[in-house]
Amino acid sequence: MENTIKVERAILNLTQDDLAKKIGVSRQTINSIEANRYVPSTVLALKLSKVFGKSVNEFFKLSNQD
Amino acid sequence: MSGKSFAECERHRIQKVLDFRLPTSFKWIGLVIVIMAFVLFFVRSQFPDQADFIRGIGRKVFIIGLLCISLSRDKEEDEMTIAIRAQSYAIAFIIGVLYAIIMPYVEFGVSNIVHSGGEAYKELGDFQLLSFMFLIQLGFYYTLKRYR
Repeated sequence: MENTIKVERAILNLTQDDLAKKIGVSRQTINSIEANRYVPSTVLALKLSKVFGKSVNEFFKLSNQD
Repeated sequence: MSGKSFAECERHRIQKVLDFRLPTSFKWIGLVIVIMAFVLFFVRSQFPDQADFIRGIGRKVFIIGLLCISLSRDKEEDEMTIAIRAQSYAIAFIIGVLYAIIMPYVEFGVSNIVHSGGEAYKELGDFQLLSFMFLIQLGFYYTLKRYR
């Protein structure tokens, strides 16, 4: 799974900490998601979608390994 | 009660058990309990006639302390820490089973190499196994959390 959360965050001018607070997780969790070390749950993905104002598959994409 | 609502009720109850966590403060309470267990282990030598009794209490206190630390909620608890905790329990379980199978033979072998005709073969005690599994779980949990 690949994602463009870092780009979406930059567009909204949010830090990892700001985004973490908005969706109720720790900053380290945002960091792990951005680095593709952790795949979030559907609930978290939908919370991110709400913050970014975009559908989930606009910032999460399946990679060749998936 | 209909079959469906009974199943819902059961599922809800199981979910409640799965979601159970102690408050964050129990991490420190657990640490204090573990330290108390160590104090008991040292105090034991002062009362030679009660040594076995004190050792038994100390072991139970030590396990309870580790359980409190293991079950306590994180300051920043989210789905990732829950996933890491589940991973650490799985790793601790697998390593614990391997430890329980292999360790008695290692102890037996080493004891026979060091002293000719050493100790007889004996199974692991519950304290040794539980404390080992808790320490592995906590070690993996904090290591995985640090490198997340």
